[in-house]
Amino acid sequence: MGCFHSKVTRQHPGHEDPVTLASQTAFSVSEVEALFELFKSISSSVVDDGLISKEEFQLALFKNRKKENIFASLIFDLFDAKKKGIIDFGDFVRALNVFHPNASQEDKINFTFKLYDMDGTGFIERHEVKQMLIALLCESEMKLADDTIEAILDKTFLDADINQDGKIDISEWQNFVSRNPSLLKIMTLPYLRDITTTFPSFVFNSEVDEVAT
Amino acid sequence: MAKLTNLNAFDIISLSSGFDLSGLFVENDEKKEVQFTSTHTFSSITSKLGDIAQNLKLKVKKQGGLMKMEGTSGGRKGALAIDAEIFEFTPSFHLVELRKSSGDTLEFQKTLKQDVRPALKDIVWAWQGQPHQQS
Repeated sequence: MGCFHSKVTRQHPGHEDPVTLASQTAFSVSEVEALFELFKSISSSVVDDGLISKEEFQLALFKNRKKENIFASLIFDLFDAKKKGIIDFGDFVRALNVFHPNASQEDKINFTFKLYDMDGTGFIERHEVKQMLIALLCESEMKLADDTIEAILDKTFLDADINQDGKIDISEWQNFVSRNPSLLKIMTLPYLRDITTTFPSFVFNSEVDEVAT
Repeated sequence: MAKLTNLNAFDIISLSSGFDLSGLFVENDEKKEVQFTSTHTFSSITSKLGDIAQNLKLKVKKQGGLMKMEGTSGGRKGALAIDAEIFEFTPSFHLVELRKSSGDTLEFQKTLKQDVRPALKDIVWAWQGQPHQQS
């Protein structure tokens, strides 16, 4: 009955147990175990070390380990809560928790704010938004004239930057998102509802049995 | 049909495939939505989508910025219904999102591959995640 736990802690450094993770998140213990199946497959895809590297993250998202993308990097950096350059299982579960359909709006809003505040100054600055906008256009293989880009930025900041100081703080962001709820669309993954069917984990792996005895 | 023109910078940025974490859970051919860019006009795109809906015997309903195409025959999980949402960057550059709104995802992907993609060939600049093909 101790098989799962000892095998897991040997191969997966710092592995947190499913019961603890379930208590910290909106996921049930079985859902955490299902996420572990997913985590195992992603974290072993390039180097089998029980941790997700940026390359493995890119491989999972784009099916191409070499594909670099500024937005995927920003997401990776937020998953990597301890700033170690890798994502462990606890990081993985806690980050995905924010994408759960039942997670709070507040958590989703805070996540998007940290995402867009690329240099972590506590403000979303115009030059950051411009950089991301240009990156998106590049990704879509599309060119817009400079003045069109500036016009889009002007309009956005007129709308979002209430005190007109050239940057968006967290309360301006909360206000802006409440008026434009579609901005949180990227923060919900309906796939998380079916996780136990998509990634079944076998009953004899369950730590719940161990805890109950 | 209204098109989404009041896109702010964040609406546009949100369209990136880098923010689409569905790839962690499903393969590309299991996804419930796809995007493509087009250098055609809004009316040219809606007209083409309308033709496709007609060929697939899907009923078209326009609801604000959404073009809903609904089947009537029951598939494995009920009738296939596809939503099309058109985002305008400029009058001659649009991004279109095609989403399965009900029915079986496998059927959606099959319909895309066999019927929708070939029919859209003339107006598609690039499918999401794929480079623009010079023709």
